[in-house]
Amino acid sequence: MAVLTPYTFIQCPCSDSSTLGRPSDPNSSTITEADEDERTFDPRAPRSNFSLYPLEYLLYCEDCHQIRCPRCVSEEIVTYYCPNCLFEVPSSNLKSEGNRCTRSCFQCPICIGPLAVTSIETRPDPSLLAAPDNTAAPHSGPYALTCSYCNWSSTEIGIQFEKPNSIHAQLAKLRNGGSTRLTAKERKERRKDPAYRRYQATSSGEGESDQTENLDLETQFANLKAFYQNQLADPNSADTGLAALGDLGFSSPTSLSRIMSIYTGGSLQDRKAKSRLGAMREALKPDEGLQFAHLDESAAIETLRGEGHDGTASITQLVDQPPNLGEEHLHGRSRFISELRPIPYLLRTKRSKRCPVCRHIISKPEAKVQTTRFRIRLVAGSYIPSIAIRPLSLSATAGGGGSSASGATLPGALLEPLKPAHFLLTFKNPIFETIKVTLGAPAETPGRFASKVTVLCPVFEVDANTDVWDEALREGGATGGAGSGGGGEKGERRRGRYDEGSQANNGNQLEVGKIWERGRNWVSIVVEVVPASLRLDQGDAPLREDEDVLEIPLFVHVEWEGEAGGDDVLESVAAKDKGGEAREKRELAYWCVLGLGRIRK
Amino acid sequence: MSSKRHSILPPAPSGPKPPVHFSSSITIADSAVLTGTHSIAIHGESVVHPRARLDSLAGRITVGRRCVVHERATLGAVGVSGRVAESGAAVTLADYVTVEVGAAVEAGDTVIGEGTVVGVGAKVGAGAVIGKHCTLTPHTEIAAGEVLPDYTVVYSNGMRRTDKRGMAELKNKGLARQIDVLRRIIPSNPGKFA
Ligand SMILES: [Zn+2]
Ligand SMILES: [Zn+2]
Ligand SMILES: [Zn+2]
Ligand SMILES: [Zn+2]
Repeated sequence: MAVLTPYTFIQCPCSDSSTLGRPSDPNSSTITEADEDERTFDPRAPRSNFSLYPLEYLLYCEDCHQIRCPRCVSEEIVTYYCPNCLFEVPSSNLKSEGNRCTRSCFQCPICIGPLAVTSIETRPDPSLLAAPDNTAAPHSGPYALTCSYCNWSSTEIGIQFEKPNSIHAQLAKLRNGGSTRLTAKERKERRKDPAYRRYQATSSGEGESDQTENLDLETQFANLKAFYQNQLADPNSADTGLAALGDLGFSSPTSLSRIMSIYTGGSLQDRKAKSRLGAMREALKPDEGLQFAHLDESAAIETLRGEGHDGTASITQLVDQPPNLGEEHLHGRSRFISELRPIPYLLRTKRSKRCPVCRHIISKPEAKVQTTRFRIRLVAGSYIPSIAIRPLSLSATAGGGGSSASGATLPGALLEPLKPAHFLLTFKNPIFETIKVTLGAPAETPGRFASKVTVLCPVFEVDANTDVWDEALREGGATGGAGSGGGGEKGERRRGRYDEGSQANNGNQLEVGKIWERGRNWVSIVVEVVPASLRLDQGDAPLREDEDVLEIPLFVHVEWEGEAGGDDVLESVAAKDKGGEAREKRELAYWCVLGLGRIRK
Repeated sequence: MSSKRHSILPPAPSGPKPPVHFSSSITIADSAVLTGTHSIAIHGESVVHPRARLDSLAGRITVGRRCVVHERATLGAVGVSGRVAESGAAVTLADYVTVEVGAAVEAGDTVIGEGTVVGVGAKVGAGAVIGKHCTLTPHTEIAAGEVLPDYTVVYSNGMRRTDKRGMAELKNKGLARQIDVLRRIIPSNPGKFA
């Protein structure tokens, strides 16, 4: 079993429906205190899975003074880029060319490994000293995409390239098997070509010959669209006798033009005036977009016989395939590996994050793809106290008798059921103000196995995260002027630090309401737990996964005095000028979950 | 096992010193480890990297021509099956075989075909017969006694496919060039094992 290291997860207040969308107002202080008290947060509730985050995942809005988790920020895309070539793609290109890299970045269709462009041509044997003319161009086409992991090569699907660059454009013109296909633009040009028109005119007389042509999706759509546009434009469209249905008929030009305008963005609206009542004929030729279904699947069955299951693509491989407009019509398609195509890399994004309430930016990365730095990043870790958990062994100090010995000494050791264990929670204050912390924990953990929890010191203050040197200087002042009220208090609070050395001698007694240890900007307190027994009675449901982990919900309420309204330097200067008048009380309250360890089964 | 670590210092020859048959053109590092009781034969132009381990306790070990046995690779370890060679040949590498860093080929009539690459940290079980020009990607495990057809690629936790690139010749040439470089880099000391 994996060793469990103690952890702290914080529940973002956004998951509480009563606080959602409401900026925390420092004046209305007793907000949720009342209802929070009544309702203990259950870390095992299925919902909790979606609202608990490690401190590192959380951001903080300086204006709302509230924690922001990945669920309660609104994101804006700063940059689109290819993860393979790190090329930044302008968002205008995105609309025309799609969300994949259009350079030469491809993933293997078999194993999604990156593909490399390699020359297929066997290079002249270097052991042969002849052929000096070949040294001028060591790499010459044709080229193929190859995967260095699973040894797939695009030659397996019959695709090779003339040039080693702009593979994406070359691939768009190639069908699997190597036959070329016309892009939409080329097809348009072909239609204008008089020679092709003449050829079309003669072949249409023969009729059958052209229908064997397989239209891919893009071509078929283009053909159909052109055909119907012609039909609508043609005032003499054949009347096939369905005119009785009039405007409501499926074949009526008006309804068709309405449908077409939905798809093509209203380009047909102007032609509506010209259209007449009366049905139109349907497409009759491949050139008009008629595609016969291939119902004869014997070829596919034959291939399946030959290649077996190994020759077919897996669902993952099919899902990873990019949408391919050059693909054959649905009926002509089977599911063989030979029909997979290299996958152009999906573009990735860099996003900035905004507070959904006040719209301030709380995280903004550098726009340049290559840099991993952030311009703005308000991480929660620099605003709310971190909580570190350490098992506390009392065996050394329990000689006095009163306090009970702790079972868990090593981190990750199993907790003995029904035997009190102690944990040291260290709260570290990241802000430059002294904070007052109030903790609340249920006496028994929620869930099937109720362990008893006692927070020995639920109310305490943690000193400000002042400059280390500042601190040293003030130390001296405090001891000097111990007589004065403020200084004495400071000295009192800091004494723990000096006692550290002598702690081993006099022993830290577990005393209710007493801080275990304190330092410059941190305070350690003790939590006593009596783990529940995991014994199951007859008929009880078996132990669920991780049900043996002792998790205690802890309500943390932090209070401090901050500068009014402001977060930037200017404001703080102003506050100093006014001599502390602008200070106001701030508070933050949230649930967190302390995972202490596994209980022995 | 495959994760067996050796000290950084040249290890003191542990166990019996096996009889060796070396071609004059091989490159074998001073700190390679050759132990066992059966003979170890290494043919022309093959390279054995420092700290590679060849163990002939379970039977004969044969390394073909132009093979490369990388650092901390193990040939002839007695696997969990405890199987030893019935025919007397523990491990046979054909020509142009690469056994990558930390890979292990267990003893017991194990055969690796020409041009095959045993990837980093891969494990070939006792008695497995690997075909020609196969690729075992890193950390692949081939079960004991398994038979792989020629040109098989084993990848991604045991998925199989056939290499259709037809690059076998090219790969062999590449290996030959690599060996040319290695011979210049690795100081050879075949005399130590004689
Ligand atoms: Zn949230
Ligand atoms: Zn790219
Ligand atoms: Zn691949
Ligand atoms: Zn905000």
